[in-house]
Amino acid sequence: MPKAVQKPAAVRAPLLPLPLIEKLLSAAMSRGAEFGEVYVERATTTAVSLDEGKVRSAQVGAVTGVGVRAIRGAQVGYAYSDDLDEAALLRTAQTAALIAEGNRAPGPVSLSRTPLPTYYQVKQPLSGIDVARKIELVREANAAARAHERRIKQVMAGYADQTREILVANTLGHLAEDRQDLCRLGVSCVAFGKGGERRTGFYGGGGRVDFRFFEDFSPAQVGREAARQAIATLGAIPAPAGPQTVVLAPGWSGILLHEAVGHGLEADFIRKGTSLFAGKLGEKVASELVTVIDDGTVAGGRGSLNVDDEGNPGERKVLIEKGVLKGYLYDHLNAKLTGQRSTGSGRRQSFRHAPMPRMTNTYLAPGDQTPEEILRGVPKGLYCRQFGGGQVDISNGNFVFEISEAYLIEEGEITRPVKGAMLIGVGPEALKNVSAVGSDVSLDPGLGTCGKDGQTVPVGVGLPTVRIDNVTVGGTGA
Amino acid sequence: MQAQVTPARRRNEREASLLDICEQLVKLASKAGASDSEAYAERTRESSVKVRDGNVEELQQATSKGVGLRVFTAGRLGFAYGTDFSKDGLRGLAESAVSLAKGAAKDQFNELPRGRQLGRGPEGEYDPAIEDIDPAWKLRAAHAAERAAAQVDARVRKFDATGAGDFLARSAIASSRGASGESRASYAYLYCSPVAEADGQLQTASWADTRRRLSELQAPDEVGRIAARRAARMLGARKVKTQKAAIIFEPQQAGGFLAGLSGAVNGDLVHKKSSFLAKLLGKRIASQQVTLVDDATLAGGLGTRPFDGEGVVSQRTVVIDRGVLESFLYDTYTARKAGARSTGNAVRGWSSLPHIGTSNFVLDRGSVSAEEIVRGTKRGLLVTAMLGSGANVVTGEYSRGANGLWIEDGQIAHAVQEVTVSGSLLDLLQAIDAVGNDLDLRSSTASPTLRIAEAVISGS
Repeated sequence: MPKAVQKPAAVRAPLLPLPLIEKLLSAAMSRGAEFGEVYVERATTTAVSLDEGKVRSAQVGAVTGVGVRAIRGAQVGYAYSDDLDEAALLRTAQTAALIAEGNRAPGPVSLSRTPLPTYYQVKQPLSGIDVARKIELVREANAAARAHERRIKQVMAGYADQTREILVANTLGHLAEDRQDLCRLGVSCVAFGKGGERRTGFYGGGGRVDFRFFEDFSPAQVGREAARQAIATLGAIPAPAGPQTVVLAPGWSGILLHEAVGHGLEADFIRKGTSLFAGKLGEKVASELVTVIDDGTVAGGRGSLNVDDEGNPGERKVLIEKGVLKGYLYDHLNAKLTGQRSTGSGRRQSFRHAPMPRMTNTYLAPGDQTPEEILRGVPKGLYCRQFGGGQVDISNGNFVFEISEAYLIEEGEITRPVKGAMLIGVGPEALKNVSAVGSDVSLDPGLGTCGKDGQTVPVGVGLPTVRIDNVTVGGTGA
Repeated sequence: MQAQVTPARRRNEREASLLDICEQLVKLASKAGASDSEAYAERTRESSVKVRDGNVEELQQATSKGVGLRVFTAGRLGFAYGTDFSKDGLRGLAESAVSLAKGAAKDQFNELPRGRQLGRGPEGEYDPAIEDIDPAWKLRAAHAAERAAAQVDARVRKFDATGAGDFLARSAIASSRGASGESRASYAYLYCSPVAEADGQLQTASWADTRRRLSELQAPDEVGRIAARRAARMLGARKVKTQKAAIIFEPQQAGGFLAGLSGAVNGDLVHKKSSFLAKLLGKRIASQQVTLVDDATLAGGLGTRPFDGEGVVSQRTVVIDRGVLESFLYDTYTARKAGARSTGNAVRGWSSLPHIGTSNFVLDRGSVSAEEIVRGTKRGLLVTAMLGSGANVVTGEYSRGANGLWIEDGQIAHAVQEVTVSGSLLDLLQAIDAVGNDLDLRSSTASPTLRIAEAVISGS
């Protein structure tokens, strides 16, 4: 992983004047709360979309707002406002303060800035790039996808970026500021086969990077890959149903970890005892081949954070080491309540949301087998090359994830494409059945968005080539 | 629309200002060079409580606002949104939208609805009682739900969350083609998610109720009891063998099945021949017991509103009539492109362009009770919760993770988890052989209990 570069504290004007922030913090504490926090966010977004060969729209948006949180014990008061005048903000802070029921004159808060490392690969902010260049990306992607094969009949391409400036200040005196750029190019294709058959392909990527990223990760390559997926599965046979050996291709397959273990290690579920991983620290929960890391410090990673939405620095955390459960993902509140420290995992969708523990970039450490060796060792199974979305039930550990491109493995060889496959399992059981891990570690290209309790945040996932035995494949074939 | 708007304006100054914002923005856009423009603004108020183990866990309250501006300059589309309602803020928005339009392609179908398309259907319900809910009432309700849940079964001791809340929304639209209207909506909700525990297994279930009238909200102790029973009955869940068997979707899961299906009647996907239903208009696509409507005028419906996201008057559209596919759903742009009429199905928020979506998407009730459907099932899975997104309306495939209860000879045998239900969407629709009488409008996409005669269950 890359080294962090220490940067001097920001010199530009804060998003809100510091004396006003201090006033808001005092107001949040005015009824006896133990902790107060002010979160200021200014987000500007640009998006362009292309459909049926035409640039359908270009759009921009700008949203600014303030969220105030007051905590007393396990009790949280939260209020927010997109009205930035002092009176409206003071009302907001007083509303959050209502969680406590006393009356107290809080002492003054004095804020000091913490210098932050930077894990982003952004020299020039995305908001400074001319929209015409962003439009050019979707045009190129569209042209490449259509040129790939004549059976590609529909192409949709979209590019979106966001420049999000945040300021977090709390009554412990911490003040953190960060500018989080994020972009993503995505292309989806529909291939038309015989007798009304339709297959889809989707590819794209981005991250906390600037526009130079697309020099290497070219729109043409994105368009071709989306087209390739749609064409590759034309004529696919129904996926065989029932338990079997699967080999997962590297990259976005990391969603397996995200669903099968990641969510279950988030400290809110652990504190409430509603996750099947609660109370299992130090226990063996996966095969010895499994080491799972959540890493907010990946250079340019979609889930990377110089600072989380509570002002704590991004971290690299080993969650499972050689099969043994080592740690959970903590935000401020759940860490405080259980005598732990925050792991920089407190995230929120926007100022309209209270933070909660979330993942950043979650990946499996590489093993020592080549992908070819892994495949050769499978007499009969399913090779999963591209993946859709997934979901998990935290308490019983049931997870699913969708396979958008899959092939039969016969005598160690990838043979026919299959359609309609999905994987289902119980987190720890699936991880105990991991029987080979490849040396080809790979983070996804920067596509993922994770939803929890109605809040979405950008995340990264990663997995080398992995073999898992006895996984239930949902399908309709024999 | 204009005529009906005036009284509301007198009653409430604040709402009037929202329409004023839209009208100002339309003028500013035209000054900035737009040939046509449309502004949509919203103000919302939300307030919620969460409790756990008898204590208050979270109080949340806020108001929020925003406006989005869609402009056309010589057939090119630009869109800008923001939260700054100041004169300068609005002017900036108008200038951005107009300048962005220059980069988009000229498209002859880019037009705003006008004339008789615009108008006002029945109002969605607005309950002043929700406006005035006392925060203490919400806390009492949430505590009562949690207490009732804890008394159902000794194995239900933990809670993920229990809460109550309300949501009020006012919106306004104005356009250079004569759209001008305001609407408002109120919602109150209550939910409980208990966790049952036995023999090292944890099972969460949840039950929620959302209504536009406070008086119609389910009693808190009932919400808690239902949730707890749903969690407890899942204990001991296990896989079943891979096989073909009947699938019974409980109302919420049947609603989820419909929601997955709704993309297939989206006029845009249909026009692009990217829906498995694209060529089947007028054909029998489902069992005769299936009648499905999109009805934005439905009394008491959560999705009821007087006009759609472009100001087009709300209507009732029969999508499937006794198994025959009767209509797709359109907004103005796609309708023009496809040579159809808008069905008033443009949906949007202030930060998004209008796009095609459902209002109240409801499957007609049948005549048998859910109990009778279970009793009449020899072997099958009663699906009570699902994982994943399921339907792929482009390819027509369906595969989704399921939890539920196994049925043998009309009786519930044991709980089931870690299986998937799969099939082609057309086969599943045609195999619907029982429709329950238990339709409830607690969500905008709603269905009674449905039984599918046979689908593939993948397990051990």
